[in-house]
Amino acid sequence: MSSRGQIFGIRLFSVLMVLVLWEIIARSGLLYRDVVPSLIEISMALKNLLSSADTYIHIGWTAWEVALALGIGGIAGIAAGIVLGANDLLRRAYEPYLYYFGATPKLIFFPVMIMWFGIGPSSKIALAAVSCFFPVALSTLSGMRGINPVFLRVGKTFRANLWQTVGKIYLPAMHRPILTGLRLGLGLAVVVTLLAETKLSNQGLGYLVIQAFTIFDMPRMYALLLTIFAFAIGANVLLARLEGGRGGTRVGFSSGY
Amino acid sequence: MSVRSTKLVPIAIGLTTVFVVILLLEFLISVDIIDRFLMPPPSDVFGAFGRLFAQENVVNRFFVTAGETLAAGFLLAIFGVAGGALLFRFTILRSAYETWIAALAAAPVVLSYPLFLVIAGRGSATVILVAFLAALPAVILKTLEGFSQTPGVYVLVGKSLNASRWQIFSKVMFPAALPSIFVGLRLGLLFAMLNIVGVEFLINTGGLGQLVNELSERYDLAATYAAILCVILVSVLFFTASEWLERRLRRVT
Amino acid sequence: MALIDMPVSNFLNVQNLGMRFGESDDPIIAIDDVSFSVSEGEVVSIIGPSGCGKSTLLNAIGGLISGFEGAVSLSGEAINGPHPSIGMVFQEESAFPWRSVLENVIFPLEISGMAKNERLERAHHFISLVGLDGFEQRYPSELSGGMRQRVAIARALAHEPKILLMDEPFAALDEQTRILLGESILNIQQALGQTILLITHNLTEAVQLSDRVLVMTYRPGQIKTEIGIELPRPRSSEILASDAFGHYVAQIWGYLREEAGRGMHQADRKSENIKK
Repeated sequence: MSSRGQIFGIRLFSVLMVLVLWEIIARSGLLYRDVVPSLIEISMALKNLLSSADTYIHIGWTAWEVALALGIGGIAGIAAGIVLGANDLLRRAYEPYLYYFGATPKLIFFPVMIMWFGIGPSSKIALAAVSCFFPVALSTLSGMRGINPVFLRVGKTFRANLWQTVGKIYLPAMHRPILTGLRLGLGLAVVVTLLAETKLSNQGLGYLVIQAFTIFDMPRMYALLLTIFAFAIGANVLLARLEGGRGGTRVGFSSGY
Repeated sequence: MSVRSTKLVPIAIGLTTVFVVILLLEFLISVDIIDRFLMPPPSDVFGAFGRLFAQENVVNRFFVTAGETLAAGFLLAIFGVAGGALLFRFTILRSAYETWIAALAAAPVVLSYPLFLVIAGRGSATVILVAFLAALPAVILKTLEGFSQTPGVYVLVGKSLNASRWQIFSKVMFPAALPSIFVGLRLGLLFAMLNIVGVEFLINTGGLGQLVNELSERYDLAATYAAILCVILVSVLFFTASEWLERRLRRVT
Repeated sequence: MALIDMPVSNFLNVQNLGMRFGESDDPIIAIDDVSFSVSEGEVVSIIGPSGCGKSTLLNAIGGLISGFEGAVSLSGEAINGPHPSIGMVFQEESAFPWRSVLENVIFPLEISGMAKNERLERAHHFISLVGLDGFEQRYPSELSGGMRQRVAIARALAHEPKILLMDEPFAALDEQTRILLGESILNIQQALGQTILLITHNLTEAVQLSDRVLVMTYRPGQIKTEIGIELPRPRSSEILASDAFGHYVAQIWGYLREEAGRGMHQADRKSENIKK
């Protein structure tokens, strides 16, 4: 068998094995109370989920929150990255703060965001914006530093002014690091938004997840998780393709928020 | 300017900025330009630190969080490294699963915490399990990368000496990949810690994350801010420590 | 073509060695019908243009690749895999960075399960032989490129192999280090009577070190000619500066030049085809 065929075979086999084992455990009653619901129930729940208009309203809410967060955090991040990248002194003064502060769990800021922005979507947008600011800023900064100084000198010999330098030399060289930063930022924004929604919200996919938990509708929770995972993975693959180069294992890590 | 002073100037600028911001906040809050029910004055926050130690048992909570992080780290070291090694050893498995694992790294695994709440209850087990699963793909991939990047010539040396397959793996490939494996474990540990604090916060159980949640529910503003600062401090210390450790290990290997 | 009478005792015997890669209807013939011998205690260099299959030849002899035509034997014993009597030194940096100099040289002895105290004794012996006395506890990252190659050589010698195969071992080093290392090799050879088969693309190196130089053709690699180097041993620096030395270098270059030119032409034609 060709190796392509082997790979497909292995994948198919593992998926089938998981499904079969799942169904066996589900029907055996081994784990208590619906923790492993039958595949049929999950499929039904998935069907109900995707055919209900309500679902899409919630998806819309989450998407809206994420988009706004990415916009705010992204623009702020790019700006910060450019400023720090352009001025060496500022960079050496503030980059450590970006770097170390970026490695802290932002979710715990949620109570503060709620105090400042109320219990509506704004608090989640603010939290997610703070979250995605850091990878974008750091990625942009590293991109700025990576620009070949020769290009800048060429620009100077042609007497390029600030705007021209930014537009014609910096931005074209930066589009890949910026995209990488945005992709990482998107992953974080999604995670943080969803988690915040599970904590305090009455809209959005995160809310639906915690709601399913509260009423102990496990098939529905599985259906929701599957849908969300599919979206997140899909979005990431898409962005990785856009970024070009080896998509592969450079897919972003949604665990580092 | 001497070399010394050029190194200190940026640090001074950074620190000065922080102080200026704190002083500015103190001022703005005291003259009510900023509502003190939105943000307590920094002096109150620093005052609250004392309470954290005396009444809220913050030290104990730190150890709970640290313990959970170490437990997750332990699981990651075993399953993450073994997983990466297996994928490397069996190329066919790698071709089949590597992209799937990379995809999983992009998925919000931590969102499945309610599921684990049901399975494992409201306790440390859930926290550790969720964090472990969230960080696992990263460790596997980094380990795999470490093995793949071993210069081929090292293996040739082993082969030319007629070393057995196991000898080549244990005496050549593994030590050669160790620096990358450490980086992966460090990254995984960091992810795990972030997730642990986050989940503690969400399910109100465990150590520092729970502290923040509890204090916020009690509307103790100053203490909430103080607790958040505590978490930041701990994670920065953790991050720096792991960087230092990695650099030391790198010198030896 | 100047052929030298083969010495009577053939130590390493390579007969009709051939290696092809690729599909059976359009294979790339790396080496074709190569036969030669190396006598005990001899130093033989193989020199040839880039891409002529020298490395393939060495890897086949060393047992690192299989599926070649022809036969290789050492002291009458057929070789078809890695063999403890065959030591190899590679072109790339191969000293293990996670092991100290001593631990690197001990490595082969660990693999073969030698007793611990014996290992240490052996290792120390070869470490001083390559001139790394006092550096036993250092790590490769603390050493220069030349010293790292010495580690690789000591490691290859640790097993006391009957023949040492070296694949352009000094290619990555600067000229001065090369010459110094070359002298080390000469000393080692003198001290041990070590048989060495060496690949190089450096003419002076070939003449400096060898008893015989085999010139290979461009792909498909064959032995174009064999030149005996009748310079006295030990090869001191006066000999390097002598007329006879220069004469040999010129002679070898004469043969090599044709092949090197052919190699460049081929590469040129290939890129032309790609452009089309």
